[in-house]
Amino acid sequence: MLRQSALAQGLVRCHVCGHLHPLAKNRHARHCKVCGGLLHARRPHSLQITLALLISSYALYIPANIFPIMTVTQLGMTEIHTIIGGIFALVEKDMAPIAVLVFVASILVPLLKLLGLSALVLHVHLRWQGNTRWWMRIYRLIVFVGRWSMLDIFMISILVAVVDLSGGVSHVIAGPAATAFAAVVVLTMIAAKSFDPRLIWDNHTAL
Amino acid sequence: MPPLTACPECDLLLKPADLITGEKAVCPRCGYLLHRAREQSIERVLALSIAGLILAIPANFLPLIGIRFMGNSNESTLWAGAVSLFGQGLWLVAVLVFLASIFIPLLNTLLAFLISVHLHFNRPHPHLAHWLRWLQHLEEWAMLEVYLLGIIVACVKLSDTADVHLGFGLYAFVAMLLVNAMLTTSLDEVLFWQRIAELDRKKHA
Repeated sequence: MLRQSALAQGLVRCHVCGHLHPLAKNRHARHCKVCGGLLHARRPHSLQITLALLISSYALYIPANIFPIMTVTQLGMTEIHTIIGGIFALVEKDMAPIAVLVFVASILVPLLKLLGLSALVLHVHLRWQGNTRWWMRIYRLIVFVGRWSMLDIFMISILVAVVDLSGGVSHVIAGPAATAFAAVVVLTMIAAKSFDPRLIWDNHTAL
Repeated sequence: MPPLTACPECDLLLKPADLITGEKAVCPRCGYLLHRAREQSIERVLALSIAGLILAIPANFLPLIGIRFMGNSNESTLWAGAVSLFGQGLWLVAVLVFLASIFIPLLNTLLAFLISVHLHFNRPHPHLAHWLRWLQHLEEWAMLEVYLLGIIVACVKLSDTADVHLGFGLYAFVAMLLVNAMLTTSLDEVLFWQRIAELDRKKHA
């Protein structure tokens, strides 16, 4: 009886505490008797919710990269930085390692997350066959790296607070791209959370 | 029939492994880490959550870093980061920074404290299951380690033009980060749910 999914055996695993329950005979939602969490065999509307959040993230990715993320004023000189511009400024100041770090966290990770999640949604929806373990690795990587994109937002919050010198000598103002970028990070994190990885396996065992 | 379990990430039906301390159980199909039996999980979580709550005070209110530039100087705390973003009208980003760097880490530590203190003294509480559920949901939204990397990048950027010095708050912040990371790895969720279910049964018996 093992080597089968719990669902195929008429069992539902509670998302929260892991307790197994028999599948409900009617369609009414039930609660787990151990922890009180709502029971469902797979996250309801997993693909639709993930897709909706992904589309919003793609849309917000554009203003996040076009608009200035911060404005630095020093001794009357004002510099406006976009995300890319900030990275180039770091390279010019011979801070290549930090530039690579910011590039990975602010450009590479969000982009790979968007593309990776899109591929996962397509994979499940179109029932692509292939190496299931490989898709699982992509999913876990996306979940793991998601939070690290907040690096740029945290860095800006620190700069805004600390570079605020009296008499207008020096100050930093956060720009509108910060809101758009933070929204991309949060929405893709929720998108990754709403994607149910068990769909990858259902897809495969349905053959 | 023995109680069965299922892998949370691939739904494979499994017989639960009976682990001794230090052993771990991995899903044979997808490789998910199902359970890692921790030594004295409840006691360690209790001790670490108390340490985390104490460290939260200096980490939040003492200056993290300070700069000096052309005779002017300024210092910044964890609070000031969120507050000054709010002051510039970016309230959405400010709320997010506040949640990820201050509120959720603190709430998680508080929840871990409440749960472990009840389990340690065998006191049932009607909200134990809710607390652990919230703790599991909120875990990934506490981003102290990302914030630390943000501080490091900000320091490197600033060191180009200004004198940067580290404040006592930063040391408290790093200590709080380490304590929270240890707390997360010491918390044996399978054991916690078992104990909560046992306490619940005892109360109804």
